[in-house]
Amino acid sequence: MIAALKRPSGFLPVILIGLLILYPILASDTRYEESVLIICMLYAIMASGWNLISGLAGYVSLGHSVYLYMGMYTGAILGKAWEIDAMWLAPLGAVTAGLLALVVGLIVLRTRSHSFVIITIAVLLLGMLVAANWRGLTGGSDGFIVKQPSWAKDNPTTPYYYIFLGILLLTVALSAFIMRSRLGAGLVAIRNDEGKAASIGINTTLYKVTAYTLSAVPFGFAGAVYGQFLGFVTPSLVVAILMSVFLVLAALVGGRGTLWGPVIGGFLVWLLNEVGTIAAGEFRARLLIMGVVLILVVMFMPMGLLPTIRNFVKKRRESKSAVNFIDQKSIAAVSDVDISKIIARTRQQSEGSSHILEVKGIVKRFGGVTAVNDVDMAIERGSITGLIGPNGSGKTTLFNCMTGTFRPDEGVVLLDGENITRDRVWTRAHDGLGRTFQITRLFKSMTVLDNLVAPLETTSVRQMVAGRYSGDEVERAREVLDFMGLAQFEKQDAAALSFGQQKLVELAQVLMLRPGIILLDEPASGINPTLIEKLATVIRRLNDAGTTVLIVEHNIPLVLSLCDTVHVLSGGEVLTSGTPDQIRNDPQVIEAYLGPDHMVGVGNE
Amino acid sequence: MDLLQVIAFGVLLGGVYALLASGVTLIFGVLDVVNVAQGSFLVFSALFTWQIWSLLGLEPLLLVPVMGLLMFVIGWAIYRGLLVRVAPQGPGMTVLLMFGVAIAMEGVLNIVFGNEFKSVTPPYFTSSFKIGEIVIPYPQMISGVLAVVVLGGIYVYLRKSWAGRALRASAQNKDGAALVGISATKASSLAFGIGAMTAGVGGVLLAIMYPVYPATQYDWIARLLGIIVLGGMGSIPGAIIASMLLGISESIASAYVPQWAPVFFYGAILVILLFRPHGLLGEKTREDVAA
Repeated sequence: MIAALKRPSGFLPVILIGLLILYPILASDTRYEESVLIICMLYAIMASGWNLISGLAGYVSLGHSVYLYMGMYTGAILGKAWEIDAMWLAPLGAVTAGLLALVVGLIVLRTRSHSFVIITIAVLLLGMLVAANWRGLTGGSDGFIVKQPSWAKDNPTTPYYYIFLGILLLTVALSAFIMRSRLGAGLVAIRNDEGKAASIGINTTLYKVTAYTLSAVPFGFAGAVYGQFLGFVTPSLVVAILMSVFLVLAALVGGRGTLWGPVIGGFLVWLLNEVGTIAAGEFRARLLIMGVVLILVVMFMPMGLLPTIRNFVKKRRESKSAVNFIDQKSIAAVSDVDISKIIARTRQQSEGSSHILEVKGIVKRFGGVTAVNDVDMAIERGSITGLIGPNGSGKTTLFNCMTGTFRPDEGVVLLDGENITRDRVWTRAHDGLGRTFQITRLFKSMTVLDNLVAPLETTSVRQMVAGRYSGDEVERAREVLDFMGLAQFEKQDAAALSFGQQKLVELAQVLMLRPGIILLDEPASGINPTLIEKLATVIRRLNDAGTTVLIVEHNIPLVLSLCDTVHVLSGGEVLTSGTPDQIRNDPQVIEAYLGPDHMVGVGNE
Repeated sequence: MDLLQVIAFGVLLGGVYALLASGVTLIFGVLDVVNVAQGSFLVFSALFTWQIWSLLGLEPLLLVPVMGLLMFVIGWAIYRGLLVRVAPQGPGMTVLLMFGVAIAMEGVLNIVFGNEFKSVTPPYFTSSFKIGEIVIPYPQMISGVLAVVVLGGIYVYLRKSWAGRALRASAQNKDGAALVGISATKASSLAFGIGAMTAGVGGVLLAIMYPVYPATQYDWIARLLGIIVLGGMGSIPGAIIASMLLGISESIASAYVPQWAPVFFYGAILVILLFRPHGLLGEKTREDVAA
């Protein structure tokens, strides 16, 4: 995926852009062709903008044309008031469109709800209604005449042609910049698995709102120019919706999530539409055709042209290259390199409390069921602590309260003595709390290396705009992979690995956060004994290097052999706590697990 | 206009909204599909009603079961033919598919019926009756009451029948439901069929209340989707409450500031979402918290 994004600077785009630049110079009497190509470029611009939120982050918007209108009205209204050409106000159009998107984004992108797509439709309708009704400002449904500059009288297309070409190139440059930045990597991670992205320190709300705001910017910019090119602005809902259909179709056909896909799609869709109009000449049929084309594309070519072609080429290449057999020995091994440097935090950790993680009075209810009832627990700094209990004892709920997946109804969670009860998941990751999942949640379409460079230790603007491979992450990721004996998988897609290998990679991913404490959710479930042994070795080594580990696990022998302290939960309360030896011989524990009848004859394991 | 009068209108209108929106929210709850084509189903049914009425002069209300059944079959077929293949790609692609269906359907209606207003005007169209000081036109009365009756029927069906329980089980946990023998495909096509059926019934009611033309589908999509966002995605009681709120507020707004009535509603949704990101009765799901 990322390799594909890095490659688009091939010959083809350069040649095509060259042809676009030369076309009006070389050909003569091209007014009609130019005006068609202008609209092609407009759709390429819009599809590229849409791609930032809907292609990269996977949040589909059906109302993006409202931002074009925002630019059109900004240019028209202020251009008239200030008596300058509307197109000079393009930067201002970008600002107003961006601001509107920022407000909408802040309202609907805070959660993962599907209401986003609905609100985009509502915002489009709302925008058109306001434009139609606020007669004083917008001229109402009669619209707004945009004055043409004197130069447009001689040649009303060629200058616009080059302006739109310029905007298109700027938009592509913006997309390329975002795709290569950490912001882009984070957005792809969000599309893959938003909850997981948050757990490795990606501030998902910030990333989504930023992407949505930026996606509106090319619309607003192009809108101010487009309004002047048209010569008028009228609020037509049907036109606005058709525009949304076209631009979504363009991005889909070309390939959402790619750099050049939406551009190619913009040209293809509008040229086809032009041919169709000439051939059929009927507007009414166009609606039907566009709907049917959209259905067909979604059903039969959901990836779009570019990715489909790329996959085809990739498959042919792969079938030619030799198959690598996996070296089982090195997978089972753990290297003995010094890991303290790789995983130690550069920043100072507060040493105020000897308990790195502490919960006090945690209560969590689901409807009438109290899953966790007034639990106090403290995790000693530098320990390996186990959390066991029969099914339904509340371990997972307690675990989720610690990681931020659930917010407890009562009680507090302290990390390094600081109250993090209400902190978001990514803030906990920044503060040094890392977690793995019982069923692994790697980003399956990314390579192992890309999975490892995805985690973020902080949130900052500088980091969002930095290249996704900048800094020492790649080097550190390789060190971590070396340490865990996973180096040979570096370039594999995560989906290609076995479940056990994925569990190790997920642990490696969490190590990239340099966490002070790692919470492991049933790390041994579903993997073979050799890997369990390896896992135990890795955990011990991490612990020797100063990392605190909390394990929730059903594999009692593993917990008892690994942990310094074990807490036993039963019925939502702490049944007992102690060393493995104490737990092993505690009749209460045996009773909780097996019931009172089994107490006789259960000895040491 | 008298405020009581306005509110009475609003409640009747809200009943119709509730029927239509519960179809959308049922589809979302069971299938995770945002059905943006509900508006086009509705307009399709309304224009079909107009066609039969103008050809045969039939009492339009007789068409309620006919259109309900027809839309059920169409919805079922759309699920089996199109949606079931796209569903694995997630809500982003299914919403695009349904958008395609909505546009294509509008295109067909445009070609068949043209782009002008049609209204069904049975003899009782202009008559009304009085309760105390409140004047209630028959079409509004009939529509509101009928909508509530059909909605009640669906509710009882979901609560009491085996198929209804299967649907609710499937809405909560598809894998779990599959384990106890509930086919996800069957449950989903049933849910989509019922969702489309509400549009079939609603279309007839719409036809006797308002003039209709193909592009009015956008007003309806926006209203219905707005209602389910406001009520909380997937929550039927939420959809009903939001429908009443919309009906009444729209009725009040159109009595005093007619042009701005829809603006008022969408604006209100945005403000409410600011404070309740999951809508009025929407539940925070596990995934939402993780984000």
